[in-house]
Amino acid sequence: MIFNEQELVNGCKQRNRFSQKQLYDVFGGKLFAICMRYTKNRSDAEDVLQDAFIKIYENISSFRNDSPLEYWLKSIVVNTALNHLRQQKYLKDLDDIEVYENGIADREITLGDFQMQQLMGFIQELPPGCQVIFNLYAIEGYQHNEIAQKLGISEGTSKSQYSRARGILQQKLNREKRFDDGSVRNKQL
Amino acid sequence: MMDPSGINNFEDQWKKALDEASETPPPSVWAGIEARLDRDDDDDIIPLWWRSPKLWYAAASIAALLLVGGGLWYSNRTEVSDKIAVEMAAKEPSSTTGKNEIQKEMSGQTDKKPENAQQIASSHSENGKIGKTSDSNTSAENPEQKYLENSVSSSSERISETPIGSGKQLADGKNNQYFTKNESAKVKKSLLPENKTVDSEELVLPARMHFNVNEAAVAISEERKIQVDFLTPNQFADLDVYMQKRYVFYKADQKAEEPLPAPKKHTEYYAAVGLMPATFNPDVKIKDAPMAFSQMAASRQKATTGTSEAGNSYAIQTQGGMRLSKHWSMEMGINYLKGNSRYEGGGYLLDATSSASANVLQSALNGISTSQDYTTSKNQPLEAANAFYIDVNKKVNNDYQYLQLPVQAGFTLNPDKKLSYSLLGGMMANFFLNNQLESASGQTITTTAEDGVYRSMNWAATTGLRLNYRLSSKWKANLTGSYQKAVSSGFKANQSLESHPYLYGVSWGFRYSF
Repeated sequence: MIFNEQELVNGCKQRNRFSQKQLYDVFGGKLFAICMRYTKNRSDAEDVLQDAFIKIYENISSFRNDSPLEYWLKSIVVNTALNHLRQQKYLKDLDDIEVYENGIADREITLGDFQMQQLMGFIQELPPGCQVIFNLYAIEGYQHNEIAQKLGISEGTSKSQYSRARGILQQKLNREKRFDDGSVRNKQL
Repeated sequence: MMDPSGINNFEDQWKKALDEASETPPPSVWAGIEARLDRDDDDDIIPLWWRSPKLWYAAASIAALLLVGGGLWYSNRTEVSDKIAVEMAAKEPSSTTGKNEIQKEMSGQTDKKPENAQQIASSHSENGKIGKTSDSNTSAENPEQKYLENSVSSSSERISETPIGSGKQLADGKNNQYFTKNESAKVKKSLLPENKTVDSEELVLPARMHFNVNEAAVAISEERKIQVDFLTPNQFADLDVYMQKRYVFYKADQKAEEPLPAPKKHTEYYAAVGLMPATFNPDVKIKDAPMAFSQMAASRQKATTGTSEAGNSYAIQTQGGMRLSKHWSMEMGINYLKGNSRYEGGGYLLDATSSASANVLQSALNGISTSQDYTTSKNQPLEAANAFYIDVNKKVNNDYQYLQLPVQAGFTLNPDKKLSYSLLGGMMANFFLNNQLESASGQTITTTAEDGVYRSMNWAATTGLRLNYRLSSKWKANLTGSYQKAVSSGFKANQSLESHPYLYGVSWGFRYSF
C-alpha cells in the first residue's frame, strides 16, 4: 500500500478517522503479531491491540519524526502488552531460576521449516516470565540490564528466565524433529 | 560467519522469523477501537466536572480566598476606624487638662496607697472594674476621692464593657489611663525592651500613663497594622492556581470535522499571443503527371515528378483558453500561417512558338482546376504538341497561406510552479487562403480557394510541448514546440495531386490569465 507516513500522522493528530483507520490498516497486522507474541491467547492479544491503538491515537501528537513511525508504534504496543501482563499478574514473582537443562545439545535449527503460527504457538506456550523476556531479548533486541530495568527484576533473573525460555523452545523444536539439515522427520509424516 | 555458540544464530533466526511477522486482526478489534474513540469524543463534549478533583480544589481555593479576603476587608475597616480615633486623640491633647487635677490627686492617692493601686491593677484584670477594688474607707473620708472613685469606677466600667479595639475610648482623656492589664502589658511590650519586666506601678501612674497613652494607642494601631500586613494576601498572580484545565464545550476534533475549505478553483481563462517561426512543407506529390510530362517521362525513362522542400515560414498565433482543472486545460485559437516551401524537379515544358513555359506542378494544378477563370487567366496550359520538355531541376517557390483554427487540450505538469510544462494535443482546421506558385517563367500563380484546386479547409493533427514561465500572477511567457500534420489532402481531387502539409515550429508568446 502506498501511503505518505507524514500525512498519515498529521491526519491522526487531527483525529481524522480516515487517517486513523488507514494507520490501523497499515500497521495493524504487524502490531497484532507482536501482541500475539506477548499474550497467551488471541483474545488477550486483541485486547492489547485495542488498548495500544487507543494509546497511539491519544499520544500521536507526541510523535516526532526523529524516529521511524513503526518503531514508535512497536514500542507502544510492547509497553501496552507489558502493562497488560502486569495487570494479569503474569509478571509477578519473577525469580531467579536455575537454568533449565533439557539435555539436548545446542544445534543449529532452521526455523524456516516452521510456520509462523507454529513458532508463535511455541512462544505462547512458554511460562509468562520466560515468554516476555524471550520476546524482549531475542526479538525486540533489548539487553538484559534494560529488561531488568523495564520489568523491575534483577539482571540475573532476566538471564536465567531467558535461558529457560531458550531451553524450552529448543526442546519444542527438537520434538518436532526438524533440524538444520532440512530434513523433516516429523513423526506425523 | 557462524557463531560457534549458536546463541546469535538462534536469536537471529527467531528475530528474522517473527520480527516482520504479521497477522490480520479480526474486524472486531477496529470496531472496538472505533467505539472507544467515539466514546472519548463524547467525553470531550460533556465533561463530568464533579468527577474532577481539580475542580474541587479550585472551588476550595476560591472559597478560602473569599474567606480571607472578607476577613481582611473587615479588618481593614476596623483599622481605619482606629486610625481615625488615634488622629482625633492627637488633636485634643488638652482635653485632659481639666482632669489633670483629678489625675494628680489620684496619683497622690496612689502614691499614698500603692497597695491599692496594685489592687486596682490586679483586680482590673480580673473583673475589669476598678471601683470594686477601691478602699471604701478612703473614699468615705475624702469626698473628692469619692468623686474620683465614682468617676473612675464609672469610667472603668465603661472601659470594661467596651471592646478593647474601640480607639475612641482609648484616646479619650478621661479614660486613657484606665487600661486593662492586658492592654497595658501590650502597650508596655510595644514600648519597652522585651526583657524588661512589667512594673505594676507603671501601670497605675496616671501621669506616665497619660504620657504614654497616645503612643500606646499608636503602638496598638501599628501592631494591628503589622498583623494586618501579615495577613495581606499575596498578589493573585502569585497564588497557586489549581484550575488549569479548561473545558471547552465543543468537540475537541471539531476542527477536523469542519468542512474542509473549498478546493482551490482552478478554472481560469487566459489569452495568448505568439509568433512561431516554423518550417513548412506542403509535401506535394504528383501521382499522375500531366499528359505532356508523362509522355516525356515515358520517352526519357525518367520521372517527371518533383519533391517539396520546407521553407522558412511563420505563424502569428492568438489563443484563448480555459483551465479546466489543476492540470487540464482546453484552448482554441486563430492563427495565420505563412508557409513557404520550394518545389524542385520534374523539369518544364517550353512552348516553341510562344516561348511560354510551364513546370510540372504548374501544369498539374492547371489540370485539376475546376475554375475556368483559373485556366484562362491565371494558369494557362501549354499545348503539348508545340512544347518540348526541358529536363532541368529548377526550384520554384510554392508558398501557402492558411488561417488556422486549432483546438487543443493541454496537460500541465507542475502547474503551480514557476516553470511548468504542458503537453498539447488536438486538431486544427486549416482554412486555405491562397497558394503562390512560382511559374517556370518566373511569374507567380496565385491560387485561391475559389479556383477549385485546394480544399477550402482540411484537418490537421497537432501536438506540442509548451514551457510556461510565470512572470507574474497574470502573465506567463510561453515557448511552444509544435508539430502539425495534415490528415487529409490539401487538394480537392486526389487523383493526380496529393498534399499533406506538415510543420515544425517553435512559438514564442505571452499569456495573460484573467
